[in-house]
Amino acid sequence: MTTHAPQTPRSVTLPTSLDEAVAALAAMPAAVPVAGGTDLMAAVNKGQLRPAGLVGLGRISEIRGWRYLDGHALLGAGLTHARMGRPDFAALIPGLAAAARAAGPPQIRNAGTLGGNIASIAPTGDTLPVLAALEADLIIAGPEGSRREIPVAHLLAGRDMLGPAELIGYVRVPLLHAPQIFLKATGRTGPGRATASVAVVLDPARRGVRCAVGAIAPMPLRPLEAERWIASLIDWDGRRGLTTEALTAFGDYVAAACIPDPEPGLPGDEQPVHPPAVLHLRRTVAALARRALGRALS
Amino acid sequence: MSNDAATTATSRTAGSVSGVGAGSSGSTRPEPPAMGLGISLPPADARAKTEGTFPYASDLWAEGLLWAAILRSPHAHARIISIDTSGALEMPGVRAVITHQDIPGDTSYGRRIADRPVFASEIIRHHGEAIAAIAADHPDTARLATAAIVVEYEVLEPVTDPERAFEAQPLHPDGNLIRHIPLRYGDPDVTGDIIVEGLYRIGRQDPAPIGAEAGLAVPRPDGGVELYVASTDPHTDRDLAASCFGLEPDRVKLVVTGVPGATGDREDPGFQLPLGLLALKTGCPVKLTATREESFLGHAHRHPTLLRYRHHADQEGRLVKVEAQLLLDAGAYGDSSAESLAAAVAFACGPYVVPHAFIEGWAVRTNNPPSGHVRGEGAMQVCAAYEAQMDKLSIKLGIDPAEIRLRNVLATGDILPTGQTVTCPAPVAELLQAVRDFPLPPLPKDTPEDEWLLPGGPEGAGEPGAVRRGVGYALGMVHMLGAEGADEVSTATVKVHDGVATVICAAVDTGSGFATLARQIVQETLGVEEVHVASVDTDQPPAGPAAHGRHTWVSGGAVERAAKMVRTQLLQPLAHKFGMSTELLQITDGKITSYDGVLSTTVTEAMDGKELWATAQCRPHPTEPLDEFGQGDAFVGMAFCAVRAVVDVDIEIGSVRVVEMAVAQDVGRVLNPAQLASRIEAGVTLGVGTALTENLRTARGVLRHPDLTGYALPTSLDAPDIRIVKLVEERDVVAPFGAKAASAAPVVTSPAAVAAAVRAATGRPINRLPIRPQAAVAAVPNS
Repeated sequence: MTTHAPQTPRSVTLPTSLDEAVAALAAMPAAVPVAGGTDLMAAVNKGQLRPAGLVGLGRISEIRGWRYLDGHALLGAGLTHARMGRPDFAALIPGLAAAARAAGPPQIRNAGTLGGNIASIAPTGDTLPVLAALEADLIIAGPEGSRREIPVAHLLAGRDMLGPAELIGYVRVPLLHAPQIFLKATGRTGPGRATASVAVVLDPARRGVRCAVGAIAPMPLRPLEAERWIASLIDWDGRRGLTTEALTAFGDYVAAACIPDPEPGLPGDEQPVHPPAVLHLRRTVAALARRALGRALS
Repeated sequence: MSNDAATTATSRTAGSVSGVGAGSSGSTRPEPPAMGLGISLPPADARAKTEGTFPYASDLWAEGLLWAAILRSPHAHARIISIDTSGALEMPGVRAVITHQDIPGDTSYGRRIADRPVFASEIIRHHGEAIAAIAADHPDTARLATAAIVVEYEVLEPVTDPERAFEAQPLHPDGNLIRHIPLRYGDPDVTGDIIVEGLYRIGRQDPAPIGAEAGLAVPRPDGGVELYVASTDPHTDRDLAASCFGLEPDRVKLVVTGVPGATGDREDPGFQLPLGLLALKTGCPVKLTATREESFLGHAHRHPTLLRYRHHADQEGRLVKVEAQLLLDAGAYGDSSAESLAAAVAFACGPYVVPHAFIEGWAVRTNNPPSGHVRGEGAMQVCAAYEAQMDKLSIKLGIDPAEIRLRNVLATGDILPTGQTVTCPAPVAELLQAVRDFPLPPLPKDTPEDEWLLPGGPEGAGEPGAVRRGVGYALGMVHMLGAEGADEVSTATVKVHDGVATVICAAVDTGSGFATLARQIVQETLGVEEVHVASVDTDQPPAGPAAHGRHTWVSGGAVERAAKMVRTQLLQPLAHKFGMSTELLQITDGKITSYDGVLSTTVTEAMDGKELWATAQCRPHPTEPLDEFGQGDAFVGMAFCAVRAVVDVDIEIGSVRVVEMAVAQDVGRVLNPAQLASRIEAGVTLGVGTALTENLRTARGVLRHPDLTGYALPTSLDAPDIRIVKLVEERDVVAPFGAKAASAAPVVTSPAAVAAAVRAATGRPINRLPIRPQAAVAAVPNS
């Protein structure tokens, strides 16, 4: 026994299939599902959470890999960040691979899973802006073998929640066969939480640029107007490059969309300005977006 | 950047340790012996620590032990209206609940000033102040029971700005001013042709020991108690505990367990006292292991400091006068703030010759987390400021930053602004020249692309076009041993039996390597290879706190004297028999030989089955307190350091990576090259943390993010290449072996060097540590 051991959960279930896991949750509504445990166990150790029971998802082999499905990749929610960071995965979905490699130290990446990153909905979750930019869908497993599909943005925005005895089973990601960039700014050279992150995804088939900004708001932000504007400037059939001025303008557009100017005061009052830290965050977002698009188009 | 590149970069940075200093200086000496001083003897506990079998305080266990938990204040400033513990007492499994009413002895404690209540009774003065403690049969029960104690507070407005502490209502019966030193040296009316001014702020660094505080208290049948804790100053902690428990000191025994790292006063008596009280009350062993959050709340931090400087110089860049105002935020309680202030005021001008100095220093009470002894306290904060001032002078006069420093450096025989003459070696110019002349690391564009490690890290957003390189210099100084008349004394016993020596000394090895040094001293003096160092408890005579490098000097000196006395006891009969003095006999490799080779015998034979014991003390020359104008010979000795920092800054995002730190240090004498290098590397890395990331944030006195995610310590990727360029071995004649303490000087100097380099890279003033990203951004010229 150590002081950090939680009160032993009354039940620990280790199902081997998604439906068994859902059944275990249905049988014990107070139980908490756990995959990598990198967020959950930290909360337990801090004494913020005392789960009455645990449903371990680590033995469900069907959600630990991925497969192709009609031009999409069906990613198991149990994929670890370490697995997503490998070159074979990076060739398929480079943005998600880059985010997975940037997410914390190796110990965390070896344990933490894609589904866990989504379910935790931490603003600094590194895969979230990439999933938002990819417009990924979640396949949610429910009782008695039911499956429903919701856009990832709906879950992140709280428009749609996981119901009782529901689990994120898979993440359906379109295969775009084009560059994807994820960049993040942190407070140090070693692994750290993002102060701001940007994902830029090119979709040549639909002649679209999709961009999401993470870590600066409770959920990833999509600057839709900036995306449409910059996509209209790109010569999709020829060289895709843009001028430095256009890239800079895109960065500023994204930053202004995500961190708008303060509401103007009463007439005659001085225009209120953001505090220096917010202005710096805005500059950082602009630089990240400009760099990310520049790298995606180069 | 590819994944492979990241791996390469990681191993390159983490594994690179330069052998320039120790290696090259070693090659000029004769072949070193296999034991004794001057070799890299590995620590005896290295294997156990690596394999995870070394017992730390948190690993302790006793039959039938109870678990303790402490109820802490959620407010920074509040009046306690009532405390109702009945809810906690009724919980099954709870064995005892104690508050301020259950203290048999002194209800206040403090290592230097007894101004801190063991449990708050009326007023809460900082976030996390202890109110009650609980012993229960399970750690979770104890923690849950703290939530069942009902405390009614009247929340008061906290005083968190030290500048407001002067006018604010007294936060403590002792008043808000802990100490004021108005140092006056020279002529106040002198002015220089060139004047530069600056306002500097240093943040709140936490010692963040990797092992959080833990301990075990075991009641004794005679009514006394034994405390098993990772104390760094066991006798002081024992005395504090005894007076709190209302017991004679000899009824309280403190046993030092494995110390998991310490960069200051390792243990907070605020943990030890409730532990002992609970053991005495319940009659059962009681164990307490702090959570990371409690650890941040409980122990002392580095003083957040506000510094205002005005430097006067002549046209050649020679300093004429320094005026400064230093304001140290001591937090709610006095602790060691008076000492920290003395160091800050005395070293406010740095290792430079200053003919006139007027330094005004204050340490004040606030409702912020308590400040206290952290390595290099006082000296570190002023170093960041006076070196920033030297950079300003260099820019204003157009003189190279290394050159302007060289024109002002201190040397042996010069006088400090406290009126104290520097009698110890002070090779400051030599140190600075060594780091200046060391070749610069290659620019990223001159190295293969896959070896780049840009600011922001291997998967970060760094873009080569926005990265600027900067080079900065800093000189720093720090005092050794306690200052201002503190009685610095240590006692050690050496025993030899059957060819094995044992050292008994209550000097705690905090990881600084004293135990290894003690073995080397005995090997050197007695020629015995197998030397054990006994574990420390308070039944041994006191050796004082492990701070200010004192154990190398004071306890090392005591061990040497005791070993020499044993040597005399061993050789006296032989010398007498052969009609020669003991000086003519020498011990090597367990053999005793005379100068002429006539006598040759082994140590074992000479011992003849006897046990030889000797105990000795070492007490360096006394110091005096600073007088009303900050004058006096307050310090036993000083150590100096020069650092050249090379940084890369992404000037759009403001991310900084320290590429290389070149260090030259005044060490007196190298006693263990490997250990010395590791102390310097540790100090530089700590300094990089001070400069870039380590700041314990508060909002209205309440700690924000008290965890190691919110408080970013340097990782192996943040640690720069550390080049030990030169170790100046000019022996300090008054120090045993001539060696100076090595740990604190790089801690003091490195943050200033990093700030100077970022200043050079960005052209921004950098007047605040840690450096915030928005302070390190600059306009990027259109490419």
